Amino acid sequence: MSNFMKLIWNEQIKLYAKKATWVMFAVLLVIAIGGGLITKFFGTDSDFKEYGDDWQTELQEENAQLTAEMQDEEFGGFMNDMIIAENSYHLENNIKPQPYDGWEYVLENSFLTSVISLFTIIVAAGIISNEFKWGTIKLLLIRPISRTKILFSKYVSVLIFALTLLVFLLLSSWLVGVLLFGLNGLNPMVVQDMMPGYAHNDVLGEIVKSYGFSIVTLVMMATFAFMISAIFRSSGMAIGLAIFLMMAGNTIVAFLSQYEWSKFILFANTNLAQYTNGMEPTIPAMSMTFSIIVLLVYFAIFMGAAWAAFTKRDVAGN
Amino acid sequence: MSKPAMQLVNLKKTIGNKPIIKGLDFEIRAGEVFGFLGPNGAGKTTTIRMMVGLIDITEGDVLIEGKSIKTDFKGAIQHVGAIVENPEMYPFLSGWKNLKQYARMVEGVTDERIKEVVSLVGLEKAIHEKAGRYSLGMRQRLGIAQALLHGPSILILDEPTNGLDPSGIREIRKYIRNLAEKENVAVIVSSHLLTEIELMCDRIGVIKNGELIAIEEVRTVENEEALKEVYIEVEPMETAKTYLDTHLPNAVGMGSKELSMSVKREEIPQILKNLMEQGISIYGVRVLQATLEDKFFDLIGENSIE
Repeated sequence: MSNFMKLIWNEQIKLYAKKATWVMFAVLLVIAIGGGLITKFFGTDSDFKEYGDDWQTELQEENAQLTAEMQDEEFGGFMNDMIIAENSYHLENNIKPQPYDGWEYVLENSFLTSVISLFTIIVAAGIISNEFKWGTIKLLLIRPISRTKILFSKYVSVLIFALTLLVFLLLSSWLVGVLLFGLNGLNPMVVQDMMPGYAHNDVLGEIVKSYGFSIVTLVMMATFAFMISAIFRSSGMAIGLAIFLMMAGNTIVAFLSQYEWSKFILFANTNLAQYTNGMEPTIPAMSMTFSIIVLLVYFAIFMGAAWAAFTKRDVAGN
Repeated sequence: MSKPAMQLVNLKKTIGNKPIIKGLDFEIRAGEVFGFLGPNGAGKTTTIRMMVGLIDITEGDVLIEGKSIKTDFKGAIQHVGAIVENPEMYPFLSGWKNLKQYARMVEGVTDERIKEVVSLVGLEKAIHEKAGRYSLGMRQRLGIAQALLHGPSILILDEPTNGLDPSGIREIRKYIRNLAEKENVAVIVSSHLLTEIELMCDRIGVIKNGELIAIEEVRTVENEEALKEVYIEVEPMETAKTYLDTHLPNAVGMGSKELSMSVKREEIPQILKNLMEQGISIYGVRVLQATLEDKFFDLIGENSIE
């Protein structure tokens, strides 16, 4: 094993020797199972309905019934509207509706990547500052290894941890999904509400897109927490700031969107999904390329600041 | 004289405008135990942190086996094993896993070598327990084990006997002497326990307010030709005092059982002979050694922090 790999190995050992790390995995698993059970037992019947060969007639009858319902009741029309719209899409495009399955469950669980972001921030915030807290930083830095290498081994370890959580989430969601809902084939097509309109996409592609875009926020916020941890050597501050910004990011952008320069704010650019599926970006005049460049600049600044703080400063009084 | 293992060349550290270390110049030779002595705030830990590259050197340099810690960090630090201040460990890992962490950071430390070091510091029984449950003495041993893993030629120990019981202190002392004499390791020991330093060091450097104010060979402290405090238990005391007062005016004090006097070592036999010739019975003679402690306080004066 090379030197760098051994450093990463060390970091992983330290990480998994702590109970808090296992609690994070347990929390994800509980949410995945709980969410599955809730969907299974409290979900709307129309999601699970299996249609026969004569599905067109079935859908038309359903729509007629729903329309009648809407005329009788004043409320509850919204849900009915949605079902009618979806049914009509199926009829117009000649797509047979399929019951809810494990793949769709995995796709829906992509919102849990924000929980992974949270956990990754906690780990990134602690990975440097804890060494200072424990005093072990002194023993770490008096080895024949450059501080730069130690810093990057820690950063890569954070990314590996995030990736492990992600794989764990995907696998557990998929298993729960398969057990509770079954699968409609290896890569079924799904009809998605794109607001406005509907689209028919293959589910694997959608899963990759949905998880992939959320990784951008995850990586940026983890890098931010890592930088704060390296500069202030305090995990509390790093966790607090990073989580606050992650939560408040969109509000900040909305609040400042009247200004021209608001497009350079990190959070205006973390959601790359805003450029796909024909959606309008938050601020006009922004493009995918623009956002990627802004993100790269932020990333470079975060890493540069973390590096300067970690390699140049004295380690005294710990 | 053997070649220097570590050289401090006009070493200075300034924080803000305040000079903390004001130009240290000395060397530590292979195979010697060097005691680094000074009151709190004198700059011992700051100097040690500069030696191992934890803090920047404002001016001057530290050369380890001829390599500069500033310009060739890896080349220099690979010869060093150290404990800086307290021996901190990962509390959630066992002693063994703590050592494995450090073993992975250098080349060629096998499990056999770790076992060897563990038995050297006498930690075999507890090595698979979590380090968080260790007593201070056990952590100290683990700290020393950690510093010795890669077989360094220079060992820097900050307060190495802190928290050890008397038998543990004796073992560590024996072990440090052994490392210096048999393995030709240069050992730098900082301590405020002066008697400890006296027992294990060959030379002592005294630092005060960031300046080296003395470097002493330990033996010269012991054999010094200064006045010594001598206590003689005699009967009858009055007669003896009257007699001695004529020979050593104003130098004789009288306690409850003993007479005390400050004389040179070579004068002691003559004084005893004279007393016996006067028919005075002598029941005991004690010579109070001028200890390092006295020497130390003579050198640094009061413990002042500027």
